[in-house]
Parts: sequence; structure tokens; C-alpha cells
Amino acid sequence: MNQTKLNRYSRSVSIIGVGCTPFMYTVDNPETNGLTEGELFGYAALKAMEDAGVNPQDVDYYFHGEASPLNGSNYLTPNIQIGNWFGMKGKGSIHHSEACCTGYLAIEQAVNAVASGKYNCVLTGCVEFGDSVPAPFGENDTIETPKHPYKRDKMSMDRFLKTTSWLYDRTYTRALMAGQELIYDDAAEWYVRTRGITAEQMNDTLNHMCINNRRNASVNPLALEKKTYESLAEEAGMSLDEYMNSAYNPKMGDFLRAGGVELKCDGAAAAIVCATEMIPEIAKNLKHKPIEVLGIGSAACEATTPHFEVRATEEAVRQVYELTGLGGDDLDLFYANDFIITSHLVSAEIAGYLPYGEGWKYICDGRTAWDGDKPINTNGGRTSFGHAHAASGLADMYECCKQLWGECGEHQVKVSPKTAMLRGYGGAQNVAAIVIRRNDG
Amino acid sequence: MSIKLEKVVATYYENLEEGKILGRKCPKCGSVEFPPVYACNACGSYETEWYEISGKAKLHSIVMPAPLSSKPEYKNLGKYAYGEVELEEGSRLNAVVRGINKKKRNELAGKLPVNCHASIFQRENGFKTVVFDLDEE
Repeated sequence: MNQTKLNRYSRSVSIIGVGCTPFMYTVDNPETNGLTEGELFGYAALKAMEDAGVNPQDVDYYFHGEASPLNGSNYLTPNIQIGNWFGMKGKGSIHHSEACCTGYLAIEQAVNAVASGKYNCVLTGCVEFGDSVPAPFGENDTIETPKHPYKRDKMSMDRFLKTTSWLYDRTYTRALMAGQELIYDDAAEWYVRTRGITAEQMNDTLNHMCINNRRNASVNPLALEKKTYESLAEEAGMSLDEYMNSAYNPKMGDFLRAGGVELKCDGAAAAIVCATEMIPEIAKNLKHKPIEVLGIGSAACEATTPHFEVRATEEAVRQVYELTGLGGDDLDLFYANDFIITSHLVSAEIAGYLPYGEGWKYICDGRTAWDGDKPINTNGGRTSFGHAHAASGLADMYECCKQLWGECGEHQVKVSPKTAMLRGYGGAQNVAAIVIRRNDG
Repeated sequence: MSIKLEKVVATYYENLEEGKILGRKCPKCGSVEFPPVYACNACGSYETEWYEISGKAKLHSIVMPAPLSSKPEYKNLGKYAYGEVELEEGSRLNAVVRGINKKKRNELAGKLPVNCHASIFQRENGFKTVVFDLDEE
């Protein structure tokens, strides 16, 4: 496979503020039903500015990410429509869309813009309505027809799955019928075959990733689903093991069970990215240490590529370790976009955060939960924190920065984190391996 | 040769209708791109040339279809699985391999890679595609 050598940024770039909405089903709750793109993105953007101690006038430019703006928002240029919601009317902006990897590449684009010297301070934000569509949307409506200015209808799983085919190459992949179907179980099959574990051990590992993610979400006020699997099992009159292997958690894939699939929802997140050397001038009231972006590895494998997630993750991780001189032992925290929960295991092992062939044991022993010695997805991941597609990557960055600043309260990790990797993944399939470190300088 | 604005996709599907499975071979390094594309992903050559693949291949991995990973129209395939297929010419791709059920998968698990071959399959929307069949043992 082709390889790329990364060069150092032209100047140091840091994340100095983050903001995030709760991840939610907006139309299910009268308090949130009717919220719009400008309101969600605007909230996250202003919270990030407040967190950084900057004013909208201090921010030079903004990046706007949304995975499916035409389907979810009825917009072709969503960045243009909402800039005046957070005090940046007239400022330059660009929209980008890389499906579930959008929120990670939101950091990549912002960092590149600042590292180049063109801008000193930028906002990067993402918003998604993953659970609803502009109203009215009846049987005879199309994505062109919604007429109401703010009302939204629930998005059925059927409709969502129809749009996911847009993720795959129309010329060959859809016709060959395999690439788009292997997203669910290929990584599990690969792990079982290459590590020599049994299908039963993989089943236990998948279940424990769900359990750990939910434990993490249960103590996170922003998470979508907070009821632990232990509570659900108790309510059903079952042991935890019985529950996880019962009809409450049915087998949906060759290995994958329902609990290992994303909870699609609505939400937004944002970050302020600033030239490290300019922080004393721009963010005079910064209340926490800057978090430097040390490097971002990037790779993409179209879905006809065998083991696309594994191969792209290997290359992205290789790039960023080569650049930074770091390795898995240097990481204190790990985040993986786990809309298919297997990602959580395979990416942490490829990154060397968990030892080769042993990661599944760490997970089954609960060591990767927020209070363990190798925390992964401390916010609850895509299966419990929720998946507002584009916004998820920046929501992970929000959580990671808060952990590095020691600002997570009830779910502050027990390790003392300084360095972290976020493994972005999505869009059939784009991968980013972002390494960040708190600058105690 | 020169870089050409060429209908590669249409030519590929038209040849499937005539029973030929075409890839593109790099004149510089000999790598074969399948499905066919303009440039060589192995050496970076701008150009590739049409090449009829032999159809001989090896299956390296097996994933069974399930509720999330199948569609009603796939029922015409009969028993099938998904997997990593390596063509004799070296290209690797994700593909459908027919003739595999759960029992067969268990039998094959310790024997991978196993031989298979390309077949042309009529899709429901009026075009043909490529699937693979296990070789007779």
C-alpha cells in the first residue's frame, strides 16, 4: 500500500478551548424538539470560545463539518447559513464532509490552517442531525421538499440505511456486494484469525466493550444512554452474561450484536485551535494549559480494499509515530470512533496502546473502562455516548481535552493523563490518527 | 501510450456481458488493477492497459452474511460468504464467494487460503458483476 512521510508543522499549534452539546434525540424531548443547526453549532462554538477565553472577533476563520448536510439539514452550503449565530458574520469559512470521520478531520484542517501561518486562531466545529430530518417528510416527500422553517421528523432506521449506500463507490463496490457489508464484521474476523482467539472469546470481548462504554456513559452528563447493562440485566431478571447473550442483545452480524452498533443521534461539538506562540496575545485569560497537536496520520482505503479499517489504521498510526517518535507506551488515553464497536479493540491494539493479542483480555477485565488503567472512550463511545455522525470526532476531542485538563469531575480518569491518541474512522473509510499532548511548558 | 479520457467502467461492464473479466495491467511494473482504474497503485505509473484476468484466485478470509450484512436481492446468490480474494495476478479485493455456509466455513477455517475462481453473475438491475466460486476439492 502507498505510504506517506509526514513533515513537522511549520509552527506549533494547540487546542485551547472546547465545547459540546449533549448528544440527544432532539425530537423526542419537548425541551429540545425544534432546535436547529445554528442553535446546536452556535452553542458548541460559543462554549469553545468561552472555554478558550476568546471573543468571536479573535477568531480568524471557521471550519464547518457535517456528514450529510443535504439529507439532514437541506443545505448545500451549511457553513454559510449559520456563521452569524456565533458572532462571526462576514468571516471566511468552509464546509467539509467526510461522514463519520468528519470531526477528526475537522482538527486536521484547522491545525493545517494555523500551522501554515495563514491564520492565528480558528474555530472548527461539526453538527449533525443523525436522528431527524427537516419536516414535513412523508412517504411522498424527497430531500428537496421540506417546507417548515424549524420542525423536524424522526429519521427511521430504514431511511438512514438507504442513505448509507451513498458512502460506497457506485461504479464497482456496490455492484460487487462485499465491501459495504464487510464493515460490520471484517475487523472481528481479522482479529480472531490473526490472534488465534475463539469466536466465543470474541463474543465476550464485544459484549464487554459495550458494557465498558455504557459504564463510561453512565457517569457522563452529556451522554445519550446512561443506563448500565448491569441495571438492564437486573431489571430483566438475568445475570449480566445472560442478558448480553439474550434476545435483548440479538446477534446482528457474523460476530456483532445489537449493542455493538452506534446509537445515531443529534449533537454538535467545536474546538478553538490557536498558534501556540500567539496564545499570550490572543487568549489572555486562558484558564488551562494548551494542548499541542503533535501530529496527525492520515490514510484512506476504499471499501473494496481487504481489511480496509486495519490497513488504513496501520498506515495512519505508522505515520504519526514516525513523525513524533512516540509509540503506544507513551499514550495515557485512547479514543476510537467505534460506531462498530470492534474498532475499539483493533485500533487500540494497532496503536500499541493495548499489547498485541492481549487487548481483548484488558477489555474483558474492565481495564479499559474510565476508571481502569488503560481507559478507552471515557465518554461512552458511539454505542453509549451516541453518534451524531460528523460531531462525534470533536465530541471525543472535547472529552479528551477535558480529561487532560483534569476537568471531568465524576468520571475523571484515575491515571494522570498527558498524552493521547484519537483514532478517527469513517466515510468508507477514512482514518486519522491524532496525537495530542498537554503542554505544561 | 498517453493519458486518455477513456470509458473504463462502461468497457468493463460491456465485456462482462460478453463473458470477459477485464482488469488493467501496468506496462511498467506488471501489477494488475482489479476492478480496472486508470493508474497503477503499485508503482504510480499514469497508464495501465486492458488485461483479461485468468479468474484463478485464492480466498484468504471468510465472513458470513447476517441481518445487518445482507440484502433481500442477494438471495439469488444461494449460499455465499464475503472475504478477501487474491487474484492469480496479485490484486486483492473484497468479494462475494459462493458455495459457503456456516458448516463449510468451519471446515475451511483451518485451511485458508483455499482456491476459488471468478464467475460472472447477473445482478437484478440489468447488469452483470463478478463473484467467486470455491474450486471443486
